[in-house]
Amino acid sequence: MIRFAVAGIAVLWLVSQGPGIAVAQAQSPALPDWGGIWAMQGNTVFDRATVQPPTGRAGEPGVREFPPYNDEWEAKYRRNIELVKQGRFPDPVSTCGTLHGFPRIMNVPDVYEFAVTSNATYIIAENGPNVLRIYTDGRKHPSADELWPTYNGASVGRWEGDTLVFTTISLKGSKDEDVIVDRTGLVLSDASRATTRMRKVDDKTIEAQITIEDPKALKAPWSVTKRYVRQAPGTWAWDYACAENNRNPISGTGRTLTLGPDGKPLDKVVD
Amino acid sequence: MTAFRIVTAAVVIGTALLASAPVVAHHSAAMFDDTKVVELTGTVKELQWANPHIWLQVIVDDKGKKTEWSLEGGSPNSLSRQGWRATTFKAGDVVTVRFNPMKDGSPGGNFVGAKFASDGRTIGRWQ
Repeated sequence: MIRFAVAGIAVLWLVSQGPGIAVAQAQSPALPDWGGIWAMQGNTVFDRATVQPPTGRAGEPGVREFPPYNDEWEAKYRRNIELVKQGRFPDPVSTCGTLHGFPRIMNVPDVYEFAVTSNATYIIAENGPNVLRIYTDGRKHPSADELWPTYNGASVGRWEGDTLVFTTISLKGSKDEDVIVDRTGLVLSDASRATTRMRKVDDKTIEAQITIEDPKALKAPWSVTKRYVRQAPGTWAWDYACAENNRNPISGTGRTLTLGPDGKPLDKVVD
Repeated sequence: MTAFRIVTAAVVIGTALLASAPVVAHHSAAMFDDTKVVELTGTVKELQWANPHIWLQVIVDDKGKKTEWSLEGGSPNSLSRQGWRATTFKAGDVVTVRFNPMKDGSPGGNFVGAKFASDGRTIGRWQ
């Protein structure tokens, strides 16, 4: 740990000296090995520390978490929870056309790979698929006029010893629930940003502590911890071409339909 | 449950199997009744082994009336890591399948488990 800390300080100093020093960082022995295949621990409730009921799953009627929403966004969340109960809170990724986005990319099923390189770390989620790029080459976030809201935003980070610390900005947030955090109805605004501290806590576990600030939606920072468990050696990750055989389109009223083998809805009501 | 009473081969197993984790989907599962598990026996027409979900198409013959059932499973990615293969089900296999039915009685459901008539093998949740 001490070796990591010293090396990390050295990397920070090098990074602070400008882009030309990036080569030196590439040779640093401090970068951790996050190789292998990993899977998120637990179900896809984003904030499992506050979920009620405690065994609740995202998408089950009445399941909710307790982010520090202000009144306006708490009301918005409650409306979404009601839509879940009515079966009219579709998952936007059901269309197979958009990304989960950040922070939801940290909260998806199937498996993950974490590719640590000298200049960037890539969080590769098989489901989606999704890639979160975290640049660690010393760059700053783009200026405001260079940015536009995107699903995964813009992430830059640095290594503090064995911990990757990165900040994510310029997120789309939810307009009409087109980007969600999970299927309980959790949403954030386009003012949201997050600081994530990520490290391997033991050989079998990587942990991400995500602290979200959202001056439009939250009264206080919201911290959530996600953990990823190493899968057996030799495990494969595969293509996930969501549109390959998507038999679950969304109706005009937000109902998730089920298509038969002929491509026509099996559902008795299609509205 | 009316629709399942019409299909005499279908048996409502009840809630005993429901403690297990449901299949993870890329969509809301609101169309499925996860408080019920239905069992029926039929002949595999096809296993659609593709993302985002596999679909098992089963033909059930109820006194001469044939109905095709569409049973949705997980992604081939996750299922392959659990031991499934694209050839796990072959056209012509006679199987008993268990699934969470669609709430509106349509011939579809969320796959729970299956037992092969030929050798008694089971796959998925079967207890």
